[in-house]
Amino acid sequence: MIKSLSLVKILRQCSIRSIRHFETSTQPPPFSSDSTSNPISQQLPLIVNRQLEYPHVRYPPLQAWLETLGQKRDEKLGIVDLHPSIWQTSPRLDILYENIEWQKTYKKIDWAYTPPHHEYPSMRGKPWPQKGTGRARHSSRYDPQWKGGYKVNGPKGPTSFFYVLPKEKRIEGLCTALTVKLHQNDVHFVDSFDLPTHQPTYLQELTEDRFWGPSILFIDDTDIMPHNMMFASAKTEGFTVMPVYGLNVYSILKHTTLVLTIRALNKIEKKLLHALNSYDTQKDQPAPPDEP
Amino acid sequence: MPIERGLQYLRHMQRVTLKNLPMPLEKTDKWKKENPDENTIKSIMSRKGPISRNSLPPYGIDPIQAEGRLPWILTVPKEPYYEGVEEARQYLPISLRTLQRLIDLRRINPDKPVDLPVLCNTKLFSIQPDQRQFGLQLTDEGADLFSTPINLEIQWVASELAIAAIERCGGVLTTRYFDPISLSALVDAKKFFERGEPIPRCDTPPINAIEYYTDPKQRGYLANPDLIREERQRLAQKYGYKLPDSSKLSPLYHLRKDPRQIFYGLEPGWLINLKDQTILKPTDNKYQTFYHS
Repeated sequence: MIKSLSLVKILRQCSIRSIRHFETSTQPPPFSSDSTSNPISQQLPLIVNRQLEYPHVRYPPLQAWLETLGQKRDEKLGIVDLHPSIWQTSPRLDILYENIEWQKTYKKIDWAYTPPHHEYPSMRGKPWPQKGTGRARHSSRYDPQWKGGYKVNGPKGPTSFFYVLPKEKRIEGLCTALTVKLHQNDVHFVDSFDLPTHQPTYLQELTEDRFWGPSILFIDDTDIMPHNMMFASAKTEGFTVMPVYGLNVYSILKHTTLVLTIRALNKIEKKLLHALNSYDTQKDQPAPPDEP
Repeated sequence: MPIERGLQYLRHMQRVTLKNLPMPLEKTDKWKKENPDENTIKSIMSRKGPISRNSLPPYGIDPIQAEGRLPWILTVPKEPYYEGVEEARQYLPISLRTLQRLIDLRRINPDKPVDLPVLCNTKLFSIQPDQRQFGLQLTDEGADLFSTPINLEIQWVASELAIAAIERCGGVLTTRYFDPISLSALVDAKKFFERGEPIPRCDTPPINAIEYYTDPKQRGYLANPDLIREERQRLAQKYGYKLPDSSKLSPLYHLRKDPRQIFYGLEPGWLINLKDQTILKPTDNKYQTFYHS
């Protein structure tokens, strides 16, 4: 266990671009130019401690490995601390069900429309006289029992299924989805999405070697991604790249693995903890801490 | 630990996907069979008859055997003898005769103000606040016998004779309201102090009692004292006696309680320690403003 003072000295001595990730900076890092030499040239481990807000009363923080996409060899760069009220909640599958139902149905509009009696052509006359012809007796041509007739209590116009799930359920849905993924070994933490090449085969072979599953969800904190990453994920089937503001329960469960950057992790934890620990009603809520 | 057991199951079981989630009970076929909704009920039941046409007769009568009879609710008459019993206030009676008897037998000291706790300590009255009993009322039996000046505080007076009988001897009467929480403190004062609660603050009377307690004719505690003096003179003229001088009486007869005060000499908010013989008073500003309001 390296103490915090020596870690700070190491960070100050090194002047490599990826260290800017751990300090709060807003500039996106440039691409890595050298792929032949060892891309990790600083001293390992990179992180061992991470400060958490609103520490949990009962549980200590969870720990996970920090990995890279910059090289094919699976080398761990350090350990990341995770907050237990997000990553160790009770696995409420019924709340996941409700969230997914909501995501499916709130956009749904039923366009079915059957015109009623008064929107049909005129039905003034009898089609044939009451008696004499050998056919059944009818009063109008467009009655419901006829083919092509009007429908009495059919669907009328566009109906919307819009509703808003309460905020606590949506927050708890996100937390349970993340715990479910973590405890089933489907979450991986990565320092950044900087790849050495733009070839999609690089990423595909990397993920195959590490058994990361056919479909992967990559999450970064901004919506501007490095060019290599975009190219590789666009050409492979099953890889999706997403910013933090697009995180939802349906996508988390649809993809087999989740890959998060450290900056995305910080943002997610900040937002969720702020929402979990605030007692404001809808009206007095202040503005959220960060913009997407 | 329910969370940890659930997470243990998660580690050993299959991966949770969109198709693996459990359906809620209300959407399963078994539940729908046991609790059918309105449309299924309508499609199963007959399309004719009073049930489907929303024309059932009122309760108490069989629709087949009706034949022009009234339903049960209209045949049985109303007998509102006890209407309003749940909201009515009860007062236990105490007559002037018992009062005089207690004074003669030296169970009550007329030199000190006679109050509800003083009368309850004689153990002749059992007042139960949860049975809607709000104190004692004065009756006029023994008005001729009464002959001691006394500072009396009672909860209700119905007749003028009783008031006149007390004032003829030189006494003083006030009617006073106590809410049930403060009543339970007054009825058994020693038990209340042993409980260790601060003295409660008396509430204002309910709306149908404010008229009574602001009336000078009933000597209410919220009435104007000048009007009360007028009424004393008027009563003396009506019943034919002379009002004794009020300046000759001892200062005990001028003792009155604050509308928020329950005990003579003790303020609301104080805690009393019988074992150490001490009184604890609140020093915080908000408590003082509350109890003194």
